[in-house]
Amino acid sequence: MTAEEEAALGLEVPVDSIDGELRKLWEADEASTNASLMNLALYSEDPESLRSNSEAALQLTREHACRALLIAMDRKAPEASIRSWITAHCHLAHGKKSVCCEQLAFLLSGKATGRLRNTVFAHMASDLPLVFWWQGELSSIFEERLYRMIDRLIVDSSGWADPVAGFERLEEALTDARNWMVLQDLSWTRTYHYRLSVAALFDDLVAQRALGEVNAVRIVAQPAHRTSALMMLAWLATQAGWRTGLELGLAAERAAGCEECFVFESREGGSITARVAWDEEAAPLGVVEIKAPGCTVSVRREPGAGYLQQRLECPGHVVTQSGPADADSPWELVADQLSRGGRNSLFQKVRPTFMELLGSR
Amino acid sequence: MSNPFREDLVSRAQPKACTVVIFGATGDLTHRKLVPALYNLLVDGELPTGVKIVGFARREKSDEEYRDGLEEINREVSRSGHEDALWKQFRECISYHQSEFQDGDGYKRLGERLDAIDRERGGQGNRLFYLASAPEFFDDILEQMRDAGLNEHKGECWSRVIVEKPFGTDLPSAQHLNTIVNATFEEKDTYRIDHYLGKETAQNIMVLRFANAIFEPIWNSRYIESVEITCAEHLGMEGGRGGYYDKSGALRDMVQNHLLQLLSLVAMEPPTDLSADGVRDEKVKVFRSLRQWDTPELVAANVVRGQYVAGYVNGQEVIGYREEDRVDPESMTEAYVAVRVMVDTWRWSGVPFYVRMGKRLPKKATEISIHFKEVPGVLFGALPGGLPGGNVLVMRIQPDEGISLRITSKLPGTSLRMEPVKMDFHYASSFGKSSPEAYERLLLDAMAGDATLFARRDEVEEAWRFVDHIERAWHQSEKASPMTEYAAGSWGPREADELLAAHGHAWRRL
Repeated sequence: MTAEEEAALGLEVPVDSIDGELRKLWEADEASTNASLMNLALYSEDPESLRSNSEAALQLTREHACRALLIAMDRKAPEASIRSWITAHCHLAHGKKSVCCEQLAFLLSGKATGRLRNTVFAHMASDLPLVFWWQGELSSIFEERLYRMIDRLIVDSSGWADPVAGFERLEEALTDARNWMVLQDLSWTRTYHYRLSVAALFDDLVAQRALGEVNAVRIVAQPAHRTSALMMLAWLATQAGWRTGLELGLAAERAAGCEECFVFESREGGSITARVAWDEEAAPLGVVEIKAPGCTVSVRREPGAGYLQQRLECPGHVVTQSGPADADSPWELVADQLSRGGRNSLFQKVRPTFMELLGSR
Repeated sequence: MSNPFREDLVSRAQPKACTVVIFGATGDLTHRKLVPALYNLLVDGELPTGVKIVGFARREKSDEEYRDGLEEINREVSRSGHEDALWKQFRECISYHQSEFQDGDGYKRLGERLDAIDRERGGQGNRLFYLASAPEFFDDILEQMRDAGLNEHKGECWSRVIVEKPFGTDLPSAQHLNTIVNATFEEKDTYRIDHYLGKETAQNIMVLRFANAIFEPIWNSRYIESVEITCAEHLGMEGGRGGYYDKSGALRDMVQNHLLQLLSLVAMEPPTDLSADGVRDEKVKVFRSLRQWDTPELVAANVVRGQYVAGYVNGQEVIGYREEDRVDPESMTEAYVAVRVMVDTWRWSGVPFYVRMGKRLPKKATEISIHFKEVPGVLFGALPGGLPGGNVLVMRIQPDEGISLRITSKLPGTSLRMEPVKMDFHYASSFGKSSPEAYERLLLDAMAGDATLFARRDEVEEAWRFVDHIERAWHQSEKASPMTEYAAGSWGPREADELLAAHGHAWRRL
């Protein structure tokens, strides 16, 4: 870290003086209100991540009052050390009162990375839930004694080199009976407004009547967002009651050169072919198109657009509407996710189908 | 037929696509509240696909002129700002229908227009009628709608009406309005809107009471000394509102609806479930339990009315109520009212609810404060300074929505001295995101068929029954209590302080 980057993290203090130094920080400014609804840990195994995560915390605290705990690991460092900094992010609430959230940043190096739990979590605000934003691949540090402390785990599977292995690791945590952790994958969050848009279009009775005859699905996404595309498809299949396992149809599609093709059987017994295409130039999730003979339901997002275009086209019946698109930056997705809260039960419902699609390539 | 993609997607009743027909479409309410609310729902992705808006009013206007007028105001007032690209699409959903309110042919044409919209939408004919006109037209509008068959359900499609306040001016007129409304729409399709109930903090009253184990056991006469509900306004009769207000007054304009609704949420028993009727059944029991001040003597003993005289608000000199524009110089309409309300139930036996509303008070604030009984003085009562008073739980409705709790704490030092301290929760500090406007929530609820936050017929009539006794004592009795005076910018008449002092209480300082 450069001196400038370190300065952006605030005042460097010894780990054992954090509480006292925080008190001094507040005593120095009586005009501010300290607000906190949760402990928000931003965890990365990239030692250079503190600066960018401090920026993310600055943005997140505008809407989500929290104690932010920034944790960076330098596992390759030869010497064991722990450095810590404190600062506060202050915002004017509704243009009036200055509301501040504390930020504690930690850089754990070398063998000190093993002291994550007893060093960092000694500084959580008591009685508040722990939201843990794990950035990057799940490593060996993600283990039972850590995840049992977490109330809400946020990951982004889009960046994982091996998502199958990553999800299997999460499965272990989620099936642990003593674990109440809620899992949020930003790849799933990226599909939120697409799902709302599809649902909104199928509120239309004409679209509902066509649902039983759906025979094709097309999804276009950036290659980096494969998990989002497959989650979207898994959600469609789960909610509509489409059955997987039509191996013959699938083999035929794959033989024809379609790598990301899937074949489902509808409730009515019809065959549905789903194709996922990759386009570097598209929005992270660019197109979701559901076709039945004569009818098309589509949701599109142009690259860079802030809105989704919803369209239902059936003979003599065309409906179009715009709706908000999902955010692009990770911190905005985290902010959206924190606003929605909940136990994320829909994702749990969709997970088995998603895992099946994910592992089928 | 159902939509499987809706399952588990959002945790609220699902609003359905419909055509919103607004009567009184050229008025302020439509321009400043209703259309911006619908636009903001679109921006947030909450507006069902296929919603159309038809403005119904008397003035000659083209669709384009009407849309332009709405756009101009939306740019000023929209909570989420104004996005040209989105508005361009939104405005295409809006059309204007010119007709007199009494003209049967206009409603017939409206019906044809709505049928055409339904055909475009694939036969879905849900309709939400919003009575945003002046109340004197409600009778005509409802009768004409019935004659034109606009109130009828078609197959699975619904037809609902939202009625804007005032719901009458007294009990007979409210009963008349309800009879007219229910002659056209069934009660289950009638949504009487009280925008106070759409406010975040009002909705939070039930959550605070019933989702926190620590409050309900002490929410009764054994632990609570009194309850205050205050609605203070610093404004007077600016913008020509004196004309309306002088015919209405504080009691009918605010207490009958907003403040008694808040009172019912504080005083109600836990509902059996969160269904609209589950909640409203409990609220109406509160209204039925209000002790009636049904003689002039009881009114004089329990109600204070007042008018402001010239004074200073925010450092500015302001005129008195009777000097205001469009106010009768000999007006006997109250700009301030304080009522001691008794809820005769087991839970609230002997606990007074002090409800006050006033114009030209020092600041704008609406809040509910629960004053708990003091602890026995056995331990600390004899100490110098004694106990600094009981605990007070405050629910701030507006502005600065939030909750605070006053507790007693020891002052630092070697001696034992106590002072009250405040634990304070501000929505704005903890949740940076702004809440949706009350109208957004309520419009969406009406589209979803959720009437929980709307007033039911019996609630409205019971509230009027209570208020009518007071109005009659003031205006039809020779023993009417006097109209008191207070200086603009003060906290109301001395007599209102005495009303509480007579029972050993004092207004909370806001």
